[in-house]
Amino acid sequence: MFGFLNKKRSASLAKDRLTIAIMSDRSNLKDFPYMEEIKTEIIAVVKKYIGVKKIEINTEHIGDSEALSIDVILDK
Amino acid sequence: MGTVIAVISGKGGVGKTTASANIALGVAQNGKKCAVVDFDIGQRNLDMILGLENRVVYDMVHVMDEDATLNQALIKSKADENLFFLAASQTKDKSVLNETKVKKLVDNLKESFDFVILDSPAGIESGFEHTIKFADVAIVVVNPEVSSIRDADRAIGILDSKSQRVKDGNFVDKLLIINRIVPDMVQSGEMLKSEDILEILDIKLLGKVPEDKGVVDASNQGKPVILDKNSVAGNAYKRISARLCGEKVSMEDIEALDRGFLKKIVGIFT
Repeated sequence: MFGFLNKKRSASLAKDRLTIAIMSDRSNLKDFPYMEEIKTEIIAVVKKYIGVKKIEINTEHIGDSEALSIDVILDK
Repeated sequence: MGTVIAVISGKGGVGKTTASANIALGVAQNGKKCAVVDFDIGQRNLDMILGLENRVVYDMVHVMDEDATLNQALIKSKADENLFFLAASQTKDKSVLNETKVKKLVDNLKESFDFVILDSPAGIESGFEHTIKFADVAIVVVNPEVSSIRDADRAIGILDSKSQRVKDGNFVDKLLIINRIVPDMVQSGEMLKSEDILEILDIKLLGKVPEDKGVVDASNQGKPVILDKNSVAGNAYKRISARLCGEKVSMEDIEALDRGFLKKIVGIFT
């Protein structure tokens, strides 16, 4: 009768996994709406002084805080 | 002026078209004039669910391109005189839709109907964006299952960033239908509970629909399941439709359905 108690409660696992996946989806989608504009402007600033091949901006989660990491690849 | 409702899901196959058909018929049965439009260009299906596939002469693209009038293209439902249906075009070319044409069509429908229900295609591409652009309300359909819920959240995110109402500084009401609930599995902890889904998606609940064999049977016949008085899913859609018409209908705890009763309705256990 209480056989289900021995079974793994997969619903709670689903909830935990979903909460994390959706949190990460939302942060990529919404937190930095002007990402393209930021990229264009950074490229313009750096280009005034040196050649730029490519620029990559990523959001990272470090503990509770968020960080933007900016990689500028120089054109040589 | 009628209310424009977009029925969306993100993921395909969760019961979006079934929900659109049943809600449209349900509000019509409550005395509201309703037009239901299939926005799934190239994959028309709502006509089959409503049993109107043999009556389609003109579709929405004919109306948009002024090859037919709205009155010529709208098909009156056999099930209720308040319900009218506009078919999707079966063309492969999805670029037939554009914002101006969609707005004109939706505006015209709003003038003559209390409810205009737009059945969105799955996914989050242009067809989806056209469906949500001019909607006043979005009904989000999910199954209690991770991929459906995650995709729904993405669709809601895009709705919030692309809707005309949001752009104008207004709010789009978002209402959730949880479809294909298997009460037994919820009770044994193998299926997500409604409260958990609501918490994750941060959205209002419109209704819960249990898994029901009758839905396939109804689609075989082209008679929406809401017409089947013995169907638990049909009754769930009746309550949902009444809520949309402003009636206060209490939320039935379908997850606590008794096991014996359940055996009769859930195909996979019989």
